[in-house]
This record gives sequence, structure tokens and C-alpha cells, in this order.
Amino acid sequence: MRRYLIPFVIFLGLFIFLGIGLQLKPREVPSPFIGKPAPMFNLPVLGKEQTSFSPDQMKGQVWVLNVWASWCVACREEHPLLVDFAKTHSTPLIGLDYKDKPEAAQNWLKQFGDPYRLSVSDMKGQVGIDYGVYGVPETFVIDRSGVIRLKHIGPLTKEAIEKKIVPLIASLQS
Amino acid sequence: MDCPLAILAFSLSLLGTFLVRSGVITSVHAFATDPERGVFILGFLGLIVGSSLLLFAWRAPKANIGGNFETVSREGMLLVNNVLLLVAAAAVLLGTLYPLILDALNLGKISVGEPYFEAVFVPLMTPALFLMGVGPIARWRQSPPIELATKLKWALAASAISAIVAPLILRSWTPMIGFGLLIATWIISSGVTQLIDRARINPSKTWWQNLRIQPAGYYGMLVAHFGVAVFIIGVTAVRGFETEQDVRMQIGSVSQSGGYDFKMVSLKTINGPNYAAIQGQFDVSKNGKSVTTLFPEKRIYNASQMPMTEAAIDSGLTRDLYVSLGEPINESEWSVRIYHKPFVDWIWGGCFLMALGGFLAITDRRYRKKEA
Amino acid sequence: MKHLFILLAGLTIGFVTPGVAFAQNNTAPLVSDNPALEKRVLEVSNELRCLVCQNQTIADSNADLAVDLKNQVRQQLSEGRSKQEILKYMTERYGDFVLYNPPFNAATLMLWVGPFLLMLLGLIVLVRQIKQRKQELSKETFSAQEIERARQLLDRKLGNQ
Repeated sequence: MRRYLIPFVIFLGLFIFLGIGLQLKPREVPSPFIGKPAPMFNLPVLGKEQTSFSPDQMKGQVWVLNVWASWCVACREEHPLLVDFAKTHSTPLIGLDYKDKPEAAQNWLKQFGDPYRLSVSDMKGQVGIDYGVYGVPETFVIDRSGVIRLKHIGPLTKEAIEKKIVPLIASLQS
Repeated sequence: MDCPLAILAFSLSLLGTFLVRSGVITSVHAFATDPERGVFILGFLGLIVGSSLLLFAWRAPKANIGGNFETVSREGMLLVNNVLLLVAAAAVLLGTLYPLILDALNLGKISVGEPYFEAVFVPLMTPALFLMGVGPIARWRQSPPIELATKLKWALAASAISAIVAPLILRSWTPMIGFGLLIATWIISSGVTQLIDRARINPSKTWWQNLRIQPAGYYGMLVAHFGVAVFIIGVTAVRGFETEQDVRMQIGSVSQSGGYDFKMVSLKTINGPNYAAIQGQFDVSKNGKSVTTLFPEKRIYNASQMPMTEAAIDSGLTRDLYVSLGEPINESEWSVRIYHKPFVDWIWGGCFLMALGGFLAITDRRYRKKEA
Repeated sequence: MKHLFILLAGLTIGFVTPGVAFAQNNTAPLVSDNPALEKRVLEVSNELRCLVCQNQTIADSNADLAVDLKNQVRQQLSEGRSKQEILKYMTERYGDFVLYNPPFNAATLMLWVGPFLLMLLGLIVLVRQIKQRKQELSKETFSAQEIERARQLLDRKLGNQ
């Protein structure tokens, strides 16, 4: 008699999973780099192409790497928040200009504001691939020893900055 | 058995609605991500299916137990068929929902695609396909295996021969091709065996007389099984023998694919109702005889400025020919993709035959019997 | 006269040769210079999921990232890396999600083994049910009244035939 209830019980289990599923974001691909060292690179600085930048230069500091491009429409959404962040926080913000033309990139910064300490030009997108970038914008938080602690996919929101990024930076700095 | 199957069929269709509308899984078939609507559909699903299953649990034990039969018998094989088809459906459901389950349990994010379904579905369906040849000639209640083997010896021989001969006469052979042909041969030869067996069912009548009195359901089954064989031949032929060429073409160049010659005759700009396009003209011929002319286009829609590729397809009973424009390489050359897909329409034809068989079975008078 | 002949010969050859050469060069060349390499690129690409158009492999997808990753694959293959090494490279950067074929590990064990376990279970339960039912039915006894009623029903049915 009780075995006829088995289909119902199985369905109940399925129902619960589907309910949980509605809260998840299946399109987001989590980064395998969380907790691992940020990949090495050496790229020319946007606007000062004779100089170059590499992540070692940031060892000892907590910093934020933001992937952006002048052709990226969603980046315009988050940009004012970044400009604000740069004004109110001392954490260095480094830009990774992804698959872009340096001239277009510089014009874009002139037009929308430049919150970055500096930006590097990743014209071929190779560094993007090394960081597992699959869309623009994306943002990474990296700690003092060069380990990636957070990856935010898509444009930053006020909530994400206030509730996740700022507290994380604070805890990494102590 | 029919009550739980009916509940299952409706539940799965509701589940399917939920899966493609709620954004819970990413799939080429999911065309909306609307978690709010998803909550509503999930609620509806829970209510309908939950109550049906509870009702089933309450009333099922009172159902009739039915007659007596051996494990190896027509009844036994029908039940095995049900189990195998249900397991195959469950496997597809498992593969579809597994990424969601792992994600919900925080065990990581994986993706499940075509290779998984092929790897799992084929081994599961193989016993069912084999039994498709045996079931219809099994006797009700009790069917001695020796008798079955004797009746099927010609079908088994034909299948074995096809498996041995195929690699020798086909220009390219892989185990998958050999397997596909083996199964198709088995289904067709066992189908013929079944038909002959039926024709001889009453020795005092002629074959024609015996076959005439068979109910519609019997012919429905034969047509549907034949449809499965046609389907398998289509899939095997396309997978095993399709050709795809990426070539650089200019006006006047010719490319060969699958025995056909494709000549690029012209490229011109045309204007459509809401787009502008470059249209190519390709003359297709075989052994010098003209077969067809294809007009693939590269369109730019006025409103979105999005480029779209319109492939040109020539469908035939034994093959599809397919030309699509790629990108211009320089002022005179374009990259062009040419496909030759043999027997691809047999995939559709097989499904049509299966549906036709099902329809024939529905017209069977036995399903509309009246109380005496 | 000799010069005229040479001139005519030269003109003839000059006119005919390109014609012949053109007729032979009519067959369209493949886009790629190395079809064997392209075949391998396709083979590896068919095992990587495009992260932008998540329903397609990078072989099928036209997204920018798919083209970039395909170029990566091509470059690495021509450097002599194996398919396994390239897949590892991709999963290091994008996680298991990028594999079109789910990996075989503890978490996915149920996925790969599940269907076959289910089939085995289904068939075992079925056979046991059939044997059980046979036993139950053979133990069933009927009272004398029930047997008489059955006989009457059968007689009536056969009589009305």
C-alpha cells in the first residue's frame, strides 16, 4: 500500500529542487579562480604605451580589476558607480580594456570619466581568456598576496558594491 | 498500467512547460527567462501532479490484478517495453535536470549536452529495439524461447550478414554506422518474419485471407516499427556519410561535394521588404546534368543592422543539398559552406511513419468495443 | 618567316596556357590551408561549450568569444598540444561548465551510471512482480458458488454466439 506513495514522494523531491532552481542563475559561469592566484600578465598601459603593467606591481595591496571596453553598452551602466567608488574609496581600481582600440578607449574615458589608476590594453583578448572572461563587464577583487577573492559577472550594481565588494575589501585589508 | 502512464504523460508536459518558461535551465529550447511566471507554473504543476499522484496512491491498490503469464511471454515483453521506454525518458529527464540539481546542492556547475544523451540513450534503447523484433511473435501467456529463436533465425542471419558485409561495400565504415545498419536490418527482417508468421496463422486459409482479418492495430504496429527502421537509416546515413566543405569561391569556380558539382554563377545585391542582401546563384549539377539552382543570401535587416545568413536548401528523397554564404575574403572571393546530407529526410519520414502507425492503431475497432 | 612563326607560336602558347590553367584552377580551393589541422580543431571544438551562446559548441557558435577560443585551439594544436591538454587549459580558466561532455567524477557519478542502474532496477522489479503475481494467482481458490456462476456466464455467452 505504502509503495504507491513512492511516485508522490519522488515528485515532492523534484518539486523542491525546481523551487530552488528558480532562485539560481543558470547562465552565470562561476570562476574557478576564486582562492587561486591571479594569472600573470604584462600589458602596455593605455595612453602610455611605452610603460607596462603587471599584477606583481600590486602585491601588498588589495585592488580591483575591472574588465571594460568602449564598445560595451552594459559598461556605461556601471561606469558612474565606478567613478563614484574611485572618489570615495582609496582602493586602487585597474581597468582591463578588452579587445578594444586604444583611441576609441581613450575617447570613451574622456567622455564618461576615468576612475582607473590606469588601464591596460588587452587588444587580442588573450589576458581575458587567461582570466576566464566570457563577457564584458566583469570585475575581480584581488587580495594582498595576489589571490583572486571575488568575481562579479555583468555590470556592477549599487547593492553588489555596498553589500559584497566593500565589506570584502575591508576584511581583506585588516 | 494506463492510469499511471496518463498521469505521467500530462505531468511531463507540464514539467516541460515549466522548464522552458522559467529560465531554470539553459537550453536551445528555453525561450524565456521569467522566474515570476516560473513560480506560477511551478505552483500549478505541484497542485495538479501532486493531487493526481495522491489520488493514485489512494485508489490504485483496489485495481484489478489481471491474468496469469510467464516472464517470457507477450505480456512480459510488453511490460519490459514499458520499463525500457520509461527508463529512456527518465534518462533524458535526468540529464536535463542534473546541472540544476548539482547547482542547487552547491556541488558545482556542469553542463550536459549532446554527447551525454547519445552515450546514454543508444545503449538504453538497444534492448528495446532488439525486442521490437521479438515481441510481436511472442505468444500470450507463455512463449518458449526456443520457439522464438527458431522463428527468428532468418532475421538473425540477415542482420549478421549485413553487419559483416557493410564494412566491405561501404566507402567509409565506423562501428556506429555498422551498428545502425545492423539494427535497421534486424527491425525490417524481423518485421517481414512477423508478417509471414501472421499470414500462416490459420493453415486452412490463404495468406491473403489471414492477413485481411488482422485488426488495424496490427498494421499500425508494423508501420510504426518500419518507421523506426527508416528513422535509424536516416540518422546513420547522415552521421556516417554527410560531407561539409568550407571553400573559397569566385564567379565561375566549382566545388564538389557528395558527387554533386556546385558552380557559383553570380553574386548580386538585392533588396527585400525589410532588408538588403547579397544573393549568390549556384548551379548544381551531377555528372553534367543540371539538378537545381540555389540562391543563398547574406541579409542585413534595415531595422537592426544585424547580418543574417539565409542558407539555400534543396531537399530530396535521398539527400539534402545545402549552400550558405560565409564572408567575403576579398573583392572577388567569398568563403562558402556546402553540405551534402544523404537520407536526412528519412529522419522526418521515419517519424511520420511512426505517427501514422499510431494513428492506424487508434482506428482499431477493439478500442471502441461496446458491452455485449 | 621564322620570326613570324615564333611570334605566332608565342602568341598561341600565351593565349592557350592561361586558358588551360584557368580551367584547371576552376575547382574551388578550401578556405583553410591545412584541412587535417582544421579537422582536429573541429574535433576539439565540438567538446567545448560556447559561454556566450550556451547551447552551442564553440565549433557551431559565431560569437566573438567562440571564434577567439577556436583560434586558441588551433594555435595550441599546431604547437603540438594534445586534446586533453587543451581541454584542461580551458577548464582551468572557465570551470567544468565549458566541457560539453560532462566530466566523470564523484559528483557526476549518478548522471552517468544512473540510467543504467535504473534500467537494471526496473527490470529486476518487473521480473519479481511477475513471479510474485504468478504465485498469488496459483494460490487463489474459488468457492463452489463462484465456479457455478462462472460456468453459467460462459454457457450463456457461448450459447448466444
